[in-house]
Amino acid sequence: MTNPEQRLLQRTRRQLFRDCGIGIGKAGLLSLLGESAFAAGKFHHPPKIDRVIYLFMCGAPSHLELFDYKPELSKWDGKPTPESVLKGKRFAFMDTFSKETPKLLATRRKFQRHGQAGTWVSELFPHIASIADDITLINGLSTENFNHGPAKLFSNTGSVRTGRPCMGSWVTYGIGSESKDLPGFVVLQSGPRGPRGGAALWGSGFLPTAYQGIPFRSGGDPILDLSSPAGVTKDEQRQTLDAIADLNRLRLESTADQEIATRISQYEMAFRMQTSGPELIDFGKESKATLEMYGAEPGKATYANNCLLARRLVERGVRFVQLYHADWDHHQDITKPLDEVTHEVDRPTAALIRDLKQRGLLDRTLVIWGGEFGRTPMGEVREKGQIGRNHHIDSYSIFMAGGGIKPGQTVGGSDELGFTPTEHIDVHDVHASVLHMLGIDHLKLTFRSQGRDFRLTDIKGRLIQKLLA
Amino acid sequence: MLRILALVVSGGCLLAQQAVDYESKVLPILRANCIACHSEKNITSGLSLETQESLLRGGNRGAVVKKSDPAASLLLQALRHEGDVKMPPGRKLKDEQIAILEQWVKDGVPMPAALMKARRKGADHWAFQAPKRHPAPEVQNVAAVRNPIDNFVLARLEKAGLKPSPEADKATLLRRVSLDLIGLPPTPKELREYLADARPDAYERAVDRLLASPHYGERWARVWLDIARYADTDGYTIDAPRPIWKYRDWVIEAINKDVPFSQFVIEQYAGDLLPNPTNDQLIATGFHRNTPSNYEGGIDFEQYRVEAVADRVQTTGAAFLGLTLGCARCHDHKYDPISQREFYQLFAFLNNVDEVDKEDDRKYFNKPFLDLATAEESARSEAYQAQVDALQAELKAYEAKLSEEKRKTDPGWMERRKNLAELRKHKPEVTQTLIMRELPTPRQSYIHLGGDFTRKGASVDAAVPSVFPQLKGVSGRPTRLDLARWLVDRDNPLTARVTVNRFWQKYFGKGLVDTENDFGTMGEKPTHPELLDWLAVEFMDRGWSQKALHKTIVMSGVYRQASAARADAKAVDPDNRLLAYQSRIRLDAEVIRDSALVASGLFSGKLGGPSVYPPIPAGANSVTQVTREWKTATGPDRYRRGLYTYFQRSAPHPGLVLFDAPDATVACTRRIQSNSPLQALTLLNDEAYFEFAQALADRAMKSGANDETRLKEAFAHALNRTPSETEQGRLLRLLAAQRDSKRDDRAAWTAVSRVLLNLDEFMTRE
Repeated sequence: MTNPEQRLLQRTRRQLFRDCGIGIGKAGLLSLLGESAFAAGKFHHPPKIDRVIYLFMCGAPSHLELFDYKPELSKWDGKPTPESVLKGKRFAFMDTFSKETPKLLATRRKFQRHGQAGTWVSELFPHIASIADDITLINGLSTENFNHGPAKLFSNTGSVRTGRPCMGSWVTYGIGSESKDLPGFVVLQSGPRGPRGGAALWGSGFLPTAYQGIPFRSGGDPILDLSSPAGVTKDEQRQTLDAIADLNRLRLESTADQEIATRISQYEMAFRMQTSGPELIDFGKESKATLEMYGAEPGKATYANNCLLARRLVERGVRFVQLYHADWDHHQDITKPLDEVTHEVDRPTAALIRDLKQRGLLDRTLVIWGGEFGRTPMGEVREKGQIGRNHHIDSYSIFMAGGGIKPGQTVGGSDELGFTPTEHIDVHDVHASVLHMLGIDHLKLTFRSQGRDFRLTDIKGRLIQKLLA
Repeated sequence: MLRILALVVSGGCLLAQQAVDYESKVLPILRANCIACHSEKNITSGLSLETQESLLRGGNRGAVVKKSDPAASLLLQALRHEGDVKMPPGRKLKDEQIAILEQWVKDGVPMPAALMKARRKGADHWAFQAPKRHPAPEVQNVAAVRNPIDNFVLARLEKAGLKPSPEADKATLLRRVSLDLIGLPPTPKELREYLADARPDAYERAVDRLLASPHYGERWARVWLDIARYADTDGYTIDAPRPIWKYRDWVIEAINKDVPFSQFVIEQYAGDLLPNPTNDQLIATGFHRNTPSNYEGGIDFEQYRVEAVADRVQTTGAAFLGLTLGCARCHDHKYDPISQREFYQLFAFLNNVDEVDKEDDRKYFNKPFLDLATAEESARSEAYQAQVDALQAELKAYEAKLSEEKRKTDPGWMERRKNLAELRKHKPEVTQTLIMRELPTPRQSYIHLGGDFTRKGASVDAAVPSVFPQLKGVSGRPTRLDLARWLVDRDNPLTARVTVNRFWQKYFGKGLVDTENDFGTMGEKPTHPELLDWLAVEFMDRGWSQKALHKTIVMSGVYRQASAARADAKAVDPDNRLLAYQSRIRLDAEVIRDSALVASGLFSGKLGGPSVYPPIPAGANSVTQVTREWKTATGPDRYRRGLYTYFQRSAPHPGLVLFDAPDATVACTRRIQSNSPLQALTLLNDEAYFEFAQALADRAMKSGANDETRLKEAFAHALNRTPSETEQGRLLRLLAAQRDSKRDDRAAWTAVSRVLLNLDEFMTRE
């Protein structure tokens, strides 16, 4: 290095640290990955949890086969649905579904009470049943739209229309993330296909794109473009980055534009991610017992692997992890296909909760399991000899585990057919409650767009008091 | 009660007035109980009781006064708490009060004219008054004035005691104006020629050259496509490809031809309703067909059709009127004088397009569209159809010889069926494009109570909000074309203002009105209101020429200033709203790609055509329900401008969205500029950018044997300047280190090129 060059670079380095060493946060609050732009990590009240893992079951699992036990329904099995139940209701597939009065369908699955709480869980979920006292079941949850795409949007953003930020974006916008070398909001997916609606489900809407969910893969590069180009070694990449940083510093000095300081730090974070990313997906250091507990097989894009990856992500300070698993849309046949998907999901889900607990992470983590709506107590016949269930939005089941909730109970409920809830709990209420656990008042976390202040819960949302710890 | 009845029965005007006197009897009741929620200022549920006209018009649920059967009027039913509407909420008026109102209704709700003066909240708001051409203010620093824009800006600066910044150096200026006007950096040759041009009008000549370039149309088409929510797929769940790129090309061409903005809007909004519309005018109507469409199994088609129409109303607000009309979809606008009824009156203009609204028509889910088969395509289609017919005939003939049972196992039958199926897979594509087409019989529009399309309120007809000048010269039912003409009418106070403001925003980072999609009472006030008006009037006076508007702005002194932040200005004006210096603006997603293409020499300048498939990171398009094949281009289509990259709504190209390209769901009037590590990973590691860096390295190496010469060459292509001594020293040091590491000169130069393509300066317009 020549002397004048050295002096100049050193001077600009010093200046960088003096001017924005601690100021970077301020200059680039909106820009840093997952760093909070909202009150810089100031909570509305002390948070009960630090992170969320949301296990999203695409296609809508049947509450009647899994959690909402309806012995009365068996008396009605095969009988036409009373008109009083159907009056004024709209369903998906109206044209075929209601050509003739649909017949009620009792579940063929056996239910049993589990744990001290005596939570009803069906035989399809033996592993989840075994941790019944760690979970709280919500029955009789209701939502607003009976089509998969819009309903998934609603579950995530509180709106059936595209263009609104999802919960993960609101949360990272609101309270940032603790991870310094991974995005604050990560999305994983497994199953035969991706979720309907794709990117809109983890989109940041009118919030800055820095808060959108970043899809990770459990095989290959976990993040797009994470690997250096072929043939470029780590040292060579480092040399290149150093030169970029030095030239950017010169520009910073001549323009005094703090955005350049932010850019310099973003390139540093990118380099750190290049190291932390491969380490994240390397299950080599996981014990055989852990892998077995999840049923994880390294290198495969499975739900089990994603559950393990979710644990590894929250361990590293990632704020919001969302797993999408398809496919639960059992119109045609609610027997064998349901056996298969429940088998796939049961063990890893329970393992994740157990694993978080044994590592002392569950206290400060919320795990949510659920889909976009439930399925009708009426059977649906699409092919002769087979029976399934249609979409049902008035009443369905989800469950939660972890800090923030009072575990070992069932909240809400539905009538004897599993059709109508006995008390009103809706998606906005779930959103309000999850934000509450994170130390956020859903009424106060707002963003001005198109002339008004928006919030995740729109104009609704009440805390589900019975759920909260 | 009896007394009143007796008086009325005896009839006569005089007696009636005495009997139920509006001012002394009725008005006090209304004031105390009703007007708070049902006034012209606050017309809850669309009902105002303040004027006779509004009362007779009724509310969102329809008429409230039934002249034929006064006793059955909704107004009275509500007061008597008879139906599902009970007023006032939570309590009931006294019987004698109800009796007075009953009588008043029976009388035909008389109200003295003097008391019925309509007042609209916010009607006096600045943005609802027509813009006026203000005289350019006088300034002291006359030397800094290039055109009237500078008078307005300098006057404010002088008032604040600030001096403008000096003009940017020539190289920076040419790079700036090239990136702004055509979205591409100048080539080293263009820069050399410009630097050598000593004529006093050299800059103006450069501006004229850029405005005449076909790339100008591409650059500004992309800006418009953000508003048009342009994408190549349907969105929502299935997100299948849709034919719409012809519309994109129409926008490029219209902008290149400098079609007057008024005409530009009319053709996009209602080209189909023009007399004898040309194909081009039909293609233009793709503008409002860019709304996402849902046709997943089990939907109610009407719901998503309504959603699209509502989006078109909202887009009209954001793009032309700068109003948040969407707020009035579920209730009256809380801040601006737009009622829910008026939202649905605008909705009525857009509600008559021949789109699918029921399950039976599912197979036509994308109608209406226009067939634009080229001669070649038609020939191919005909040949294909002939082949299909032949194979089908052959299959039929063969089948006739076999029993139904035997067919399934007959190898000849299976073979023929397979051939037919195989052929069908190769059905030749015919160019089509989505368009608007009006239904012969218009749909009746209704207010949707609470914004819910299943709850129909009062019926409404097409009309523009009452706060604006009304439609002119319309006989009969007003149409979408009337609305389009009204949007760009000289008397419309908003369209020109909103448009010039959006242009300004692109050149200075912020608009004169910072809330570019909200000029309503909750929006920001303009920093330079007189300049905004001057630009709006100038725009209209010069025949809505977009090129003239661009030229006026880039010729101004304020645009040409240096962009370095100034401490003295920051002290009094931290956000640089007074424009004492230009702003550094990060380039748009597409412009970053295009600049790298130009720097690398790989750039393909081909205009228009179907969208293309440049390299995409592995797995980037598998995040949605259906992973569609991404046929990565190998020829020139690999190096096309970013605006031609195929845009799949549910899995858009990360190179676009990571750099803040909009997601094409709703009209985007302003891109935010984020700064994230994922952007760094893209520019550092993405296959496409590595390829660009290699090509730039090859260019540098071809320029000479000497490292300094090569470095100069690379700088000239990437940054349009020569390296400083410090920069040269630093990069030669990197070169040496890389040579030590690899012993491969191309790899070492590629590393240097990667540095240049990753610099903040590279992705920033100074």
